[in-house]
Amino acid sequence: MPYSNNSGGPWGGGGGNKGGGDDGRGPWGGGQNGGGNRGGNNGQGGPNKPVPDIDDIVRKGQEQLKVLMGGRGGGGGGGGGATPEGLGRGGLVIGALALAGLWVFASFYTVKPEEQSVELFLGSFSSVGEPGLNFAPWPVVTKEILAVTRENSEMIGVGRGDGGLMLTGDENIIDIDFEVVWNISDPARYLFNLADPQETIQAVSESAMREVIGRSELAPILNRDRGVIAEEVEGLIQQTLDTYDSGVRIVRLNFDKADPPQEVIEAFLDVQRAEQDRNTLQNRADAYANQILAEARGRSAELLEQAEAYRAQVVNEATGEASRFVAVFNEYTKAEEVTRKRLYLETMERVLGNVDKIIIDEGATGGGGGQGVVPYLPLNELRRSGEANQ
Amino acid sequence: MTRTTVLIAFVVGILFLAVNAVYIVDERQKGLVLQFGQVKSVKEEPGLAFKIPFIQNVVRYDDRIQSLDTQPLEVTPLDDRRLVVDAFARYRISDVVQFRQAVGAGGLSQAEARLGRILNDETRTVLGSVSSNTILSADRVSLMNQIRDAAIIQARAIGLEVVDVRIKRADLPEGNLEATFQRMQAEREREARDERARGEEAAQRVRAQADRTSVELVSEAQRDSDIARGEADAQRNAIFAEAFGRDPEFFAFYRSLRAYEESLKGENSTLVISPDSEFFDYLKADTGRVE
Repeated sequence: MPYSNNSGGPWGGGGGNKGGGDDGRGPWGGGQNGGGNRGGNNGQGGPNKPVPDIDDIVRKGQEQLKVLMGGRGGGGGGGGGATPEGLGRGGLVIGALALAGLWVFASFYTVKPEEQSVELFLGSFSSVGEPGLNFAPWPVVTKEILAVTRENSEMIGVGRGDGGLMLTGDENIIDIDFEVVWNISDPARYLFNLADPQETIQAVSESAMREVIGRSELAPILNRDRGVIAEEVEGLIQQTLDTYDSGVRIVRLNFDKADPPQEVIEAFLDVQRAEQDRNTLQNRADAYANQILAEARGRSAELLEQAEAYRAQVVNEATGEASRFVAVFNEYTKAEEVTRKRLYLETMERVLGNVDKIIIDEGATGGGGGQGVVPYLPLNELRRSGEANQ
Repeated sequence: MTRTTVLIAFVVGILFLAVNAVYIVDERQKGLVLQFGQVKSVKEEPGLAFKIPFIQNVVRYDDRIQSLDTQPLEVTPLDDRRLVVDAFARYRISDVVQFRQAVGAGGLSQAEARLGRILNDETRTVLGSVSSNTILSADRVSLMNQIRDAAIIQARAIGLEVVDVRIKRADLPEGNLEATFQRMQAEREREARDERARGEEAAQRVRAQADRTSVELVSEAQRDSDIARGEADAQRNAIFAEAFGRDPEFFAFYRSLRAYEESLKGENSTLVISPDSEFFDYLKADTGRVE
């Protein structure tokens, strides 16, 4: 909290009153806060919270007064050459002016566009200051400036002992890292109700996430329900923080990781590979089936076409031969004897014209039955001589 | 010492006294006015107040909600499965006097220790009376409320108001993690094997169906082609029968002539014939006429 960081009391430095306000905040206010922090009589108050302490303020004021009145030589008030004893009119005026200037400087403060301030009147909440120049008359009114629109983020599940391992409803373990982004919706509540907002947000976020994960099953978290879970968790965090009146608004919740733990991730990946394998096997089988079926269809077509070809061939040949016969027969019926003779002779002519012929006259062999000659004919010799003659 | 110095010293003294007589309690605090250790008054509302200077002093307590995160705690639910539970509480000081009396000058850190013990006790009691499935379910909220309600009553004794108790973690102990991982792994393996086996099954089925369809297709085609061939042969026979049936005797003559011509074709046929053959009728007839 910037509030408690501001312990550099400019009061300590005698001449640093004006220069001490270089952090843009009223040095008086800062000194006041710091004084409260170091308040000796506050030792039992648990954690030392910044408290404006009148005792301290006054003590410091007295020191300052001494410096202004007596320690002129130290360059504090920026006055002239008045001696410590002879406090002249001019010195008083200058001192008063300087005091007034310091007071004005301490009482006005600026609030940047992304900020809001909370003003406390004598320690109790009075108003919220909007961006711009604001007036908080010191020391009655003190103020705190908060960057309300700035988005703060809490990473949960990263870099811790258990590495964000969570137990799901079906007793599986899942590794979840997520980020909660928040800002301040009500600066006064934010300031006054939670001692440790950041730690509270972290604890509440983790609790909410574990609660939701603890009643979900593993598979839906891994697959598609992340958006639903994020929404549910966000709602739960907001609801819990609202019961604390925390003035915190959860802007969004980002899942950085929702994976199976490192130890088993290989097995999860293998399931994905198995799904791929399954597809591969099915595709290969489909390819095989396509090939086989195409071949079978081709073979079928081939067989059918061959059969049709045979049919055409056989029928055509038969038709042709039959026609030829019919044609010859028709002629034959007109002159049967002559045609018959002619056909015979023409055929014999062609047949005998092409073959080697041996004509044996049975009568010329001399007497009793020429048939006795035939077995003795040197048929092979005859053939050879026949070939030689050609 | 001039008069002025005396005057200034006097004014400063008065101022010092006045300043010691007032005190401010911040919006975030509650004040307790003590007189020699005895509680004189409580200032709940923020703002300016008065006290007797020097004799009384003010102790301020934080009025905001404090956080308390307990150490991880092993609990044994009804079904004897151990769980590591990590709870946290939000609380604030509600009764400053009681708080002061209870923790003395120890302040918040001592209160925290005592509240932590209360919380651990209640967590153990509440979670020990249900089964682990209940803790890992939507009932967790009601368990958290039970712990909170019990803690509220106990914490009242030390002047604290428990705003909320939540279970942050409810995990398996470190030793059981390995077993859980193995179970998860085995489940995935089962899934992967099932997936692959189903792939094989489907592939085999597709292949077998393809083979069957292929055989069916080819055999059907074979059948149809044989039918077609048979029809063709029949048609041929019919054509021949129709044509040759007109004169079987002439067909025999005509077909024989063609058969002679076909079969006696070629160079290596040798025919031994007798001149008595009809073909030579006129070869021997010197009259040029056959008797």
